[in-house]
Amino acid sequence: MADTREFIQNLKDTPRNLRASWLRLGKPPQSDRERSQATFHNFFLHLQSVRVHRNSLRFAYSLGLGLILTASFVVLTITGILLMVYYKPSTELAYNSIKDIHYVVPAGRFIRNIHRWSAHLMVFAVFLHMARVFYTGSYKKPREFNWLIGLALLVLTLALSFTGYLLPWDQLAFWAITIGANIANSPREVTDALGITRWFDMGGFQKQLLLGATYVGEEALIRFYVLHIVLLPLLCGAFMGLHFWRVRKDGGLSRDLTKDAPPASVLGRSMHVFQTSPSKTYGLMAIVRGRTPAVGRGPDGTVPSWPNLLWAYGAALMFTVAVSLGLSLLSDAPLKEMANPAIPENPAKAPWYFLGLQELVSYSAFMGGVGIPTIVLLGLALIPYLDRDPRGTGQWFGGPEGRRVAWKSALFGLASVISLLVFTVQLGWLRDWYPKIPQLMITAVNPGTVIVGIYMAWSLWVVKRTGSPRLAAIALFTCFQMGFVVLTLMGTVFRGPNWQFYWWPSQWPVH
Amino acid sequence: MHEHRRGSRRSFLSWAAISSFCAAIGTALAGIIRLPKPAVLPGPQRIYKLGDPEQFAVGTRVKLETEQCCLFRDEQGFHAISTICTHLGCIIAVQEQGGFACPCHGSRFSESGEVVGGPAPTGLPWLEISLSVEGQLQLNAEAEVPRGTKFRA
Amino acid sequence: MHPNSDPARLSKWALLVSSVLSIVFLAAAAIRENVAAEWKGVQREYKTILLAKSADAVARRRAEAFSIEIRQVTVPALKVVDRCVSCHNGIEDGRMADQSQPHRTHSQELLKWHPVAKFGCTTCHQGQGLALTFNDAKGEEAFWDYPLLPAALTEATCATCHDPRALSRGSAAKLVRGMELFDVKGCASCHKIEGKGGSLGPALDNVGLKTKHQFMRAHLSGSQTTWNWHSEHLRDPGGLVPGTKMPSVGLTAAEREALTVYILSLRKRDLPEAYLANDKIEEKYAKLHPAAPKGEALYAKYCSHCHDTGLYARWSKNFKRFIPAIRNQAFLRLEDDECLAENILEGRPGTEMPGWGPKAGGLREAEIQAIVEYLRGETKFTALPPAPARGSAERGHRLFTMNCAGCHGVGGKNGFAPALANAVFQKAATDAFIAETIRNGRGNTPMPSFGRAGLGQQEIGDLLAYIRSLAQPVRQARSYGRAPERDQVAGSEER
Repeated sequence: MADTREFIQNLKDTPRNLRASWLRLGKPPQSDRERSQATFHNFFLHLQSVRVHRNSLRFAYSLGLGLILTASFVVLTITGILLMVYYKPSTELAYNSIKDIHYVVPAGRFIRNIHRWSAHLMVFAVFLHMARVFYTGSYKKPREFNWLIGLALLVLTLALSFTGYLLPWDQLAFWAITIGANIANSPREVTDALGITRWFDMGGFQKQLLLGATYVGEEALIRFYVLHIVLLPLLCGAFMGLHFWRVRKDGGLSRDLTKDAPPASVLGRSMHVFQTSPSKTYGLMAIVRGRTPAVGRGPDGTVPSWPNLLWAYGAALMFTVAVSLGLSLLSDAPLKEMANPAIPENPAKAPWYFLGLQELVSYSAFMGGVGIPTIVLLGLALIPYLDRDPRGTGQWFGGPEGRRVAWKSALFGLASVISLLVFTVQLGWLRDWYPKIPQLMITAVNPGTVIVGIYMAWSLWVVKRTGSPRLAAIALFTCFQMGFVVLTLMGTVFRGPNWQFYWWPSQWPVH
Repeated sequence: MHEHRRGSRRSFLSWAAISSFCAAIGTALAGIIRLPKPAVLPGPQRIYKLGDPEQFAVGTRVKLETEQCCLFRDEQGFHAISTICTHLGCIIAVQEQGGFACPCHGSRFSESGEVVGGPAPTGLPWLEISLSVEGQLQLNAEAEVPRGTKFRA
Repeated sequence: MHPNSDPARLSKWALLVSSVLSIVFLAAAAIRENVAAEWKGVQREYKTILLAKSADAVARRRAEAFSIEIRQVTVPALKVVDRCVSCHNGIEDGRMADQSQPHRTHSQELLKWHPVAKFGCTTCHQGQGLALTFNDAKGEEAFWDYPLLPAALTEATCATCHDPRALSRGSAAKLVRGMELFDVKGCASCHKIEGKGGSLGPALDNVGLKTKHQFMRAHLSGSQTTWNWHSEHLRDPGGLVPGTKMPSVGLTAAEREALTVYILSLRKRDLPEAYLANDKIEEKYAKLHPAAPKGEALYAKYCSHCHDTGLYARWSKNFKRFIPAIRNQAFLRLEDDECLAENILEGRPGTEMPGWGPKAGGLREAEIQAIVEYLRGETKFTALPPAPARGSAERGHRLFTMNCAGCHGVGGKNGFAPALANAVFQKAATDAFIAETIRNGRGNTPMPSFGRAGLGQQEIGDLLAYIRSLAQPVRQARSYGRAPERDQVAGSEER
């Protein structure tokens, strides 16, 4: 009888006990100790350190870009899985399944729009994030390796976006991927010119690896699909995990260590600012490199991760969501006519973030599509190993002098790339003057390589004048940013049918 | 007093932010949950033309494979009985000696489609038969008629 | 930063604002999709019409049971999924005949033979069947290759499964008119269809399947559809395609529309056999087993556009040359049937006259024979007086430059009169024929009589020698290209 009563009592208590076993703390944490535990006892939160430096929460420092990127990856994963419910990866069915998603799937059109806009947002943010990390000197010791992981993530983000481009199987997709695949093929430009393609056909190999055929067809679609929904997201997730883990192991976001630990006298009492206390446990929970906040030196500028970091997470997530939703409401993801290998798009343009490259490709497929991107990526990867001066870490531009150099370089970078483009559009290039010029000459000397040369010379001049590799790096990076922006604009707005120059798309002739 | 007011303002802001966050996620989830349920079912309508009614003599009892039904003609006219088991959707066998038997879980039905054995919860539905404009016998496998309804061509 | 300030204050505000904005956006999207959807409004309206038209209790019950939902017709055999019926709910309901679109009844006579469930909508009407808004379904401004055909042009798709000429009660009258115009106006002189026709213009097989992107629309004003292009192009070819050889044919607006319908109907689709109408099968059979050809009809279809009646030489603005009068009695008296057949078979390389043999213009031997018979008419070939012996080509050259090169061109080519430095001419024309033509000229053409102008036998002989030196006859040219068919031809000639 007693057993029955106990059983009934347990049954009655089950909701309460379930709640207690699930939310171990039971109530919102009040003390710092409880906040630490809240972070510590939660699977997702315990990846975080228990306390976070106030500087890391400063919007003006981080611009929230890393969080926005993570949030857009989350949004993309969710909307991507939803789209997979209706998408059919076959050349016969893909286009119509997108039409179905647009017209009849409940919320399908909106979800596809969100997927598209958050993808653009992610690409946009990844460039800005890289610039932020660069200009605040956050790649410096001990964060060199994380910079490399970040570069891998940059490439993965672009690859994800690019592979997703083919899936709707419309004219836009088909011709953009045809161009992309032929860029992969472009090492032939060099091997052909050297006459060694028969023995060493890097380009043909790359293209076949990408397309599984010599043309964009069923095989290519399946390959891009697998890359887009399995391989690249997994890699991206794995690298993101590594990236976050290293952020924590490298001592959180970079900050100006010279400004650490302000004197205790200027600080009042606050529950948010760490106080020396016997219950202080964070040192054990997050063993970090660098300086340990010393007891007795006063408050160390950190605050509990719970709830401060959570607020930032929530804000970044919802900011990303709100921006994607708003854009999705305003503008539909494009879907042109069904892919038709007999009718080329003119101009066939890649997604906007590749149009800078496409402009370079219009000079030389190999240099624009393979050579210069490789040089740029290599250069970026080398930055933390060439600039090993720890000064200026955690400050925008590393101080007023860096800011000046950045301004000057921006002006120089803009002026030189714009004048080079004006020159090319007005007067043409080598082949227009010497029609019989060998291809290797064009590959080596074209507006793309010339602008890279100019930027490098500028950077060398800066290092010679200032003697600071950091300033030279700022100069080079800024120049390349400007070049990227101008070339992208050029490809997006000013290039029309037959890749001719037009002041505006409304002037394009109907063809 | 000053401290207190600021504290309450702060907690109100937190409360508003959290609740609007939850509301937004809730709204989004509501939209997401609607997605997997198709708004319109794919596939063609299951309306079949069976040809000239006269090709089926009185006394016909024939199993139609694609149409998934059994067509009968007797003195009172045509009727068709679905051959999809009402238990779990297997295709039932038309038995020589009359009646239907399901190979999957042993449901048994009488010649007029009533359950006579096994786990099937209801009898087999009778399907609508009509005449098309060009005078063909037409079976609508999506429309059910009351048991016993016969169509006179 | 004041240490007492809430480090999460900005985040909280950002969270609040973006969450509220997100809710607003989500709500707006939900309303757009679920409440403001065009098809829902149409179906609600249709339901009220249904209720108003319900005469008895049964009809009323049915009207009340009309559910607001997306409807579609799926026809896997034709790869059709058409959602037009989501708005055109009343197409099969005779009571809706007095309603305006989209509720109106479809012609019941047509639907009787073309049940929506078997054919869908876009099989006949084109347009984007997957779409759920009128603009997208119409597809002219959406990215869709085959927009909705205007009612006036819908007949074009009848030919997919039918022989339009066999259709009863003139149900495809406009299309049939277009087909006739195509023959009467001599379009086939330049355009091939199924391998038959001239080669000056592009072949028109499957031209109805081309999308607007395949036409040059730089000068096309108004609607950017293929049919508007065709109609405008028929009105003023040069206005749309600068430098085109296509002449303005001089058609009325109604004729242009009929021809446009026919052009749009030129589309081959892989159809399941069950969809081919009997008349279409008969049409195919008739093509494989052609009846005895009629020379006059063939002449009208393939020759008349350039040669007109053939009685007079005609100056062509487009070609900048005279087109020979091939039914001219003076000519026919000099040229025998073999010569005529040879010229039709081989054409005149170097001029606009294409070959019409089985592998070129696609005419069968019997058809060419029929054309020859038609050309010949009542005029008999008269035995020519023997040609003078060939004299000195050198003197002939001088004579040619003085008398002939003005029209026939220096060296017998690129003039505005027929080219003489032409392999087919050299093969087809006998010395007697050339001599006789020089001596007496050709009535009703600009070719004057040089005998009357004072050329004697010897001078004609010299000219003959020179003209013969201008080009090798086609027989020697056989080694490159088109050899097998010519063997056949040569064989027939030698018989």
